[in-house]
Amino acid sequence: MIISAQLIFITFFGLAAVWFGIVVFRTYSMVRSAIALLFSQTALGALFLTLQAEFLGVLQIMMMATEMSVMAIFMVMFMMDPGGLGKMDMTHQKRLSIIAGIVTFIAAVAVAVYIDWGPITTVNDAPTIQIKALGIELLGRSMLVFETAGITILTAMIAAIAVAIQPKGNINNNHKEPK
Amino acid sequence: MGIELIMSLIFAAALLGVGIYGALSQTNLVMIMMGIELILAAALLNMVAFWKYLHPDNPAGQMYVLIVMTVMALEMAVGFALAIARFRSRGSVEMEEAVELKE
Repeated sequence: MIISAQLIFITFFGLAAVWFGIVVFRTYSMVRSAIALLFSQTALGALFLTLQAEFLGVLQIMMMATEMSVMAIFMVMFMMDPGGLGKMDMTHQKRLSIIAGIVTFIAAVAVAVYIDWGPITTVNDAPTIQIKALGIELLGRSMLVFETAGITILTAMIAAIAVAIQPKGNINNNHKEPK
Repeated sequence: MGIELIMSLIFAAALLGVGIYGALSQTNLVMIMMGIELILAAALLNMVAFWKYLHPDNPAGQMYVLIVMTVMALEMAVGFALAIARFRSRGSVEMEEAVELKE
């Protein structure tokens, strides 16, 4: 087996992504959780760069940096103990969750290892050619799918605002205690 | 067989397992969303690896990655909107307290 530089980088960034993914659920501080998820997604973006998907790698890193910053703010707003100073346990059905996670991992690894994926190609086009081909694909054959994604974003934005906006006549009636 | 493809799929499987653990074990809505983000990240990694090692000449593979990234952003936007609505009406986003959803 020849160990290529690409394999080394895939292993490094893959381990980083998985490790930071585990840290998300291990730390008591919710801000640290959000930052760990940011590192996990950034490692994934770097993994995309290693896989020579340059456009997707940069997009992943930029999108996740913004998304996780917003998530950290929401964490501080909504969590009872965002700093994790009280070391509150905010988990339930832990045993079932661990079993489900491990079983899923083993099943997915079995699929990855035992299926014959056919001929493997290791040669890619240059990034400029790839991006040009993607642009032509998005505005050509896959335009309907691309436009549907745009409409879905618009619908989700309207739905999110409609759900989050404060109803009229409820301004002085906030923060009811749970029954 | 391409060891790089297998390694990528194994890391995606690990992210999927961690994401499922997180989504099932956490009691806070925002933390559950973090678990779902990891599950979608695993799907992204699978798609990029398949595109790179099986069909690098077909840009439709990259297009599907863009669609999943869109789904990730939408999941966050709608999830946060639900969290705001829930926090306004009940003062908490703890799912242990959302027993009325069972009724």
